[in-house]
Amino acid sequence: MSDREDRLRSLLNKVRAKRPDERTTRAADALERIRTASGTMAAAAQSAPPTVPPTPVPSSAPAQLPSSPLPEPPTSPTIDSPTRYSSQPPRVERPLSIEPRARSVRPSSGAPAVGSRPAGASPSRRPESIRAQSVAPTGQPVVYATDQPEFPRPKTFGDLLELTLSLRPR
Amino acid sequence: MHDGRFDPSGFYEFNLTGGMVRTRTGERVVILSEDVLSSLVAAAARDGDLTPLRRLGELLGEQVLGGLDRPASVLSPEAVLGHVSAVTSLFGWGRLTFERWGAALVVALRDKPELDEDELGAAALLGGMFSEISQRQVSCVPTGDSKFVMVDFEVAETVWGWFKDGADLPAIIGMLDTKRAS
Repeated sequence: MSDREDRLRSLLNKVRAKRPDERTTRAADALERIRTASGTMAAAAQSAPPTVPPTPVPSSAPAQLPSSPLPEPPTSPTIDSPTRYSSQPPRVERPLSIEPRARSVRPSSGAPAVGSRPAGASPSRRPESIRAQSVAPTGQPVVYATDQPEFPRPKTFGDLLELTLSLRPR
Repeated sequence: MHDGRFDPSGFYEFNLTGGMVRTRTGERVVILSEDVLSSLVAAAARDGDLTPLRRLGELLGEQVLGGLDRPASVLSPEAVLGHVSAVTSLFGWGRLTFERWGAALVVALRDKPELDEDELGAAALLGGMFSEISQRQVSCVPTGDSKFVMVDFEVAETVWGWFKDGADLPAIIGMLDTKRAS
């Protein structure tokens, strides 16, 4: 009896001594399979076999957890760099001509009627029409379409009058 | 106060029993045919005295000022133009628009009555009207194509001479320069 008991206890001890490692190995294998299948921790949580006890996994096991199961959060767009195509005016290519500034004023755009030259330096300039208030009920000046004003547009009729009455023969 | 737009309603008051037509400011007006007016203006231009036309322009200017709630000088060009063109149309003198040629303000008067060949009658009318509106001595010098450049009274003769010598509007603008008073 004693011999038999001794053998049984010895076997039992051996089994007890081996089982944690075996369990660890099985748990690690299961995690590895889950990781390969889904690649995410969420999937791992859903598909982990219920028979795998969570606690026996040693603390060293997480080292084998997916190194990057979660995709990196998308890098936020560089907020400090503006969208250039919308922040810069479209480049308008002007055809070269003999008098490149001769028609810098376009009546339809509402641009100011004076180019970079002094008043009246370009004989072929076109006039700028001032629309009646019935056309622009708000009385606001015509909005410049594309060209930047090359000098301030008179805001009042008095300014406009002062400008034209200051004209003298060269 | 109103929204700044010209209100043409009730502009004329017809007194059939009295045989009179008045504007809403009380000015008596007479309706003439274009032919008659043209003959009168042509005769006045030959004599070199367009004072009646200038006076008529001043009356139009008074009508404009009567429709403004503030002095014209502080209003936007569009607001003044709206009133000026409305009054001009109501008196049958055509369609009036403004143009800017550089620093120069050009008045275009389309579909106006055919008066004299040199358009001096219309020039006198416009000069009187804008002088009244601006309270300054303003001349509107014909530059062809029913356009008149608005200049100071003192340089009007010079500009007119350029036009008579064959200069068109762009050339005239090119011979003018801004000289602001210091």
